Amino acid sequence: MGAPNDSIAFERLVRPHLDRLHRLAWRLAGSKAEAEDLFQELLIRAYQKLDDLVEIEEPGSWLSRVMYNLFIDERRRFARRRVHLVEEGQLAGEGLQGLAGSDSPVADSERLEQIRHLDAALAQLSDDHRIVVLLHDTEGYKLAEIEELTGIPVGTVKSRLHRARARLREILVADGTIS
Amino acid sequence: MQNSDANKQEQQVLELLRDYPAPAADADFYERALVRATHEGSKRQRNRWMLTGFGAAVAATVAAWMIGGLLLNEPQLPEAGAAIPGVTIALAEPRTVNLVFASATTLDSATLTVTLPDGIELDGFPGQREITWETSLSEGRNLLPLTLVAVTPTGGELLAHLEHEERDRTFRLRVEVG
Repeated sequence: MGAPNDSIAFERLVRPHLDRLHRLAWRLAGSKAEAEDLFQELLIRAYQKLDDLVEIEEPGSWLSRVMYNLFIDERRRFARRRVHLVEEGQLAGEGLQGLAGSDSPVADSERLEQIRHLDAALAQLSDDHRIVVLLHDTEGYKLAEIEELTGIPVGTVKSRLHRARARLREILVADGTIS
Repeated sequence: MQNSDANKQEQQVLELLRDYPAPAADADFYERALVRATHEGSKRQRNRWMLTGFGAAVAATVAAWMIGGLLLNEPQLPEAGAAIPGVTIALAEPRTVNLVFASATTLDSATLTVTLPDGIELDGFPGQREITWETSLSEGRNLLPLTLVAVTPTGGELLAHLEHEERDRTFRLRVEVG
């Protein structure tokens, strides 16, 4: 392993999936530094398993599952660092980049403020609830896709989704973000 | 609270979630990550072997095999029998066991494949039955620490298959779950 041909083969296999994996890393880790660490660690481990990867029919799904398992295995590390980084204001909603814009700076500013409140509300959810609601309601994963990715039965996913939405609604009503 | 209020609020939550951004990667981040993956991935495979003596082993050393001349002359160790070393691990509790290979000579670019029995996993490789490393063995004792996790109480036989050039040998370790 490590030959130039391996690098070329590896890049050809993973490049089509990088954007989706990067988004997944964000949704799992919740902040820039941890998302980048998770993304990087996935690629390193994937490269170590290049011989397996070339044989896999759907490398995108496989890579997503490996990333999810990696996050779960090192949840304590990521969770601890995420709490620290929240204080530094590095969560997703801290910038307008990536936010669907309008022609009105005032409307954008209000929306950004709402997103900041959403950040704070999401940070109060458990990882299990936060991940499910972000995958389903933000990234558009179907329930069956979440089951395939996480190994959690659809019934449990539905239940977590319902509770996560209810909790977000409760928090956002209480802080005046929605009414 | 009325249902209409709750529905309206839920719609607002869903709209916010739909707009929740995931910033694009920084310029060149993917390129840097790919380069690092190939370098670090190769390095980790080389470093997977920890070349230490018996005295440095902190976990239970459960199996030691002589390679050297045996590797050159015999294609296989004897099949399963009384000589097979064993270890007992507890269900769902990771335990590090050290496989010690004593080699009479340096072996560059050897390939080691660990095949796990059903219900036994290698920590960090969930769900995988077979894990392969490329490695080099130094003259003397080479220690390979493996952290095993029993996910079912069945146990079985772990196989460590070592290949170097056109020679290979398979080593066996009995894993019991108690």
